[in-house]
Amino acid sequence: MKRVLLISLFAFISISIFGQAKKPTIMVVPSDQYCISKGYKMEFENMGATQTLPDYKAAMQKDPDLRLVITKMGNIMAERGFPLKDLEMEMKNLEKEAAEMSMMTSSSSGSDMAESPIDMLKRTAKADIIMDLSFEIKRNGPEKYITFNLRGLDAYTSKQIAGAAGQGAPSMSAGADLLLEEAVLSHMDGFNNLLQGHFEDMFAKGREVKVMVRVWNNWGETLETEFDDKELTEIIDDWFFDNTVEGRFSVSDATENFMRLEQVRIPMMRVDDRGRERAVDTRSFVNDLRKYLKSTYEIDSKVYLRGLGEAWLILGEK
Amino acid sequence: MKAIRFLSLLILTSLVFAGANAQERYSRKERKQHYNSSYNYEVEIQGVGQDGTKVLKVWGYGKRVEDAIIEAKMNAVAAAIFKGIPGGNGAAATPAILRDPNASETHADYFEQFFSPGGKFNQFIALTTDGMPSGQDRLKMKKGYKVAIYTQIMYDALRKQLEADGIAKRLDSGF
Repeated sequence: MKRVLLISLFAFISISIFGQAKKPTIMVVPSDQYCISKGYKMEFENMGATQTLPDYKAAMQKDPDLRLVITKMGNIMAERGFPLKDLEMEMKNLEKEAAEMSMMTSSSSGSDMAESPIDMLKRTAKADIIMDLSFEIKRNGPEKYITFNLRGLDAYTSKQIAGAAGQGAPSMSAGADLLLEEAVLSHMDGFNNLLQGHFEDMFAKGREVKVMVRVWNNWGETLETEFDDKELTEIIDDWFFDNTVEGRFSVSDATENFMRLEQVRIPMMRVDDRGRERAVDTRSFVNDLRKYLKSTYEIDSKVYLRGLGEAWLILGEK
Repeated sequence: MKAIRFLSLLILTSLVFAGANAQERYSRKERKQHYNSSYNYEVEIQGVGQDGTKVLKVWGYGKRVEDAIIEAKMNAVAAAIFKGIPGGNGAAATPAILRDPNASETHADYFEQFFSPGGKFNQFIALTTDGMPSGQDRLKMKKGYKVAIYTQIMYDALRKQLEADGIAKRLDSGF
């Protein structure tokens, strides 16, 4: 009995020490409104309609105020244990990566690297939490003041998880740089407090993610097909109820070809086949569903990852 | 008739006692408790402080002005930890470092030590107004003073100390 107790205690201690949940990445991105109003934009003709998109590269290269704000925010977040992913650096890295990929060949056969159109599409700057930023230096007679708007957006659930907005004190003598620095200092404590609230909620009720179940066109079955007298949608619904935290999830839409599951609360940690405590992300969570469908109903499927918080399971084949 | 008289007397007596109770609520003793309460502190932010600091106007009570100043310093640090500081003068609201509303009770022993005379809280007060508060910042009350001081508190350093002592949670705790 003593030995069992000792082993349990050791397991608990090792979980507390080594068990670390997946840390979300955070990136500051200037808002579309900021980029477009400052002229950092690209315009396209799409089916006769003009589409305007933000040009982040131009914004980062030409706007010293934006760089100042991002640097200041980066310092604060790094000090709080969340070094920010830098948008400018990420875009440069992606360019380099693309150039290297196009030049790289195998030394023995001369083969180039495999890349599907989807792989190409996925080569974009992304983060789990976007800090959507806009600000404006306004004037009232001889006085200058700053309006500041910062939103923390979950990239997968599209929910605003934190925010800070407001207007700074007007000043006749302070320069724009100082006013911008003040705006960041003034708002970041409130923003981080809300972010902490989001993380605490995540640890208490599980990480909120999105899952889509789809079927390949050539499968020959649908989500309405019955296995052991149960429709596949029902089987999947039951599996989510059993495996989410406190059975929290909602099927926001479903047909015979797809199921969209939102507000799915997945546990932060789980014990793997070898008894180790491991962090759970949407890929590993959906992978468990894939294994369950394969072992119980002989259904092959493919897991397609869209990020830390979203994955698709496509039924029928790999 | 006797019964009606008795009933009226009973109602009158209960009314008198109710009045006494209402007056008691605002007795001197109660007022003193109110002033000495750890929840009762008035703070006003004076603008955006330098990196990691907050500049406040904060009030304290005491028999002597010196006591009131010490209490005001304590209140400034307590506001940052438990209450948060409302926005104003161009600065956004500052949240309380501890998100748990019952944190002062949960960690009562720690805070008793922290706020003891000459305790650690002094470490997080970078600067206060020199000299005795005067004019509107020094109010003579029946038994003592209510004074206001302007102070700069080291908000970030205070948060880090509480995180290091295991009282506050780090933003990245668990990851």
